[in-house]
Amino acid sequence: MKEDAMLHDAKLQEAAQRLGSAAADKLDLERIATTVVERLREPEARPAWVPPAWLRVAAVLVVLVGGGLVLRHVRSPTTAHGAHFVTDDLTDLSADQLREVLNTLDETLDSVGTTPPESGFDDLDAQQLRAVLRSLEG
Amino acid sequence: MAQPQPVAPPPPPDAALIAAWQGGDERAAADLVRRHARALARFLTAAGAPEADLDDLVQETFIRAFRAVGRFRGQCQFRTWLLTIGGNALKDHGRRVSRHKVVPLDEGLQARDGDPHERAEAGEAEARLAAGVQQLPRLQREVFLLRAQQGFEYAEIAGALDTTEGAARVHYHHAVRRLKELMR
Repeated sequence: MKEDAMLHDAKLQEAAQRLGSAAADKLDLERIATTVVERLREPEARPAWVPPAWLRVAAVLVVLVGGGLVLRHVRSPTTAHGAHFVTDDLTDLSADQLREVLNTLDETLDSVGTTPPESGFDDLDAQQLRAVLRSLEG
Repeated sequence: MAQPQPVAPPPPPDAALIAAWQGGDERAAADLVRRHARALARFLTAAGAPEADLDDLVQETFIRAFRAVGRFRGQCQFRTWLLTIGGNALKDHGRRVSRHKVVPLDEGLQARDGDPHERAEAGEAEARLAAGVQQLPRLQREVFLLRAQQGFEYAEIAGALDTTEGAARVHYHHAVRRLKELMR
């Protein structure tokens, strides 16, 4: 058994020693030696373009400032200018129409389990109704 | 009485050629190329170098080695060090072409003597070995080739790969076990 393994190892080693021999034998050593020596005479190729230090510093600054601006914009609270209330679209409605909207809203809130207001909206004028709607919008 | 034949002087050792090259002797560099290029080519081919790119890879390896020879501290033989540089050059080449070719089974992989049946069997075994070697992790592959193909001792391999002798031994045995499985 051990003898088999040794035989196998020896065969593996023999096969490994033959690997690449054919390709290696085809090489023209004289030509390669000449080419290598010629290439060694050439100045060593510089690495690809490396930006100067000031340019790298400038790039870092641009990233930091730009990133800061973006973060500031993202984190800043929504301004009144940006907010949009549905009640702004209801300015043209009459008191009756506003009452109808509120009653519809009341039914919607009721259906999701919210307690409706005890008093109705009948005695409120248009301005008060708008105020109620705005308060409902948050 | 016959005149004694002049005996050719022994070839200078690698260390002497390296020193001569560092002193500006281009012939020393050319001698080192002639001395080690075939072993390097066998190593590169077995490690997966496409035959079409072999010439370029051999040149590239020597260029890198000669330019970095100041960092060679004699921790191993020049050839072992050269082969590890070849391994790096091959890795970079693989990145560039983003593909790895398997050494094809051609006439070169087959044994050159023996009967046709034995030749075919040997050729098939080598083709499977070539494919298997390329499936090994890089360190296992390099240790296996340095040991089995190039015949270096573990201490020598460890010096070249900056590892311990024990680790080199373990890598070799893992490689052999894996190759046996692949070739079964």
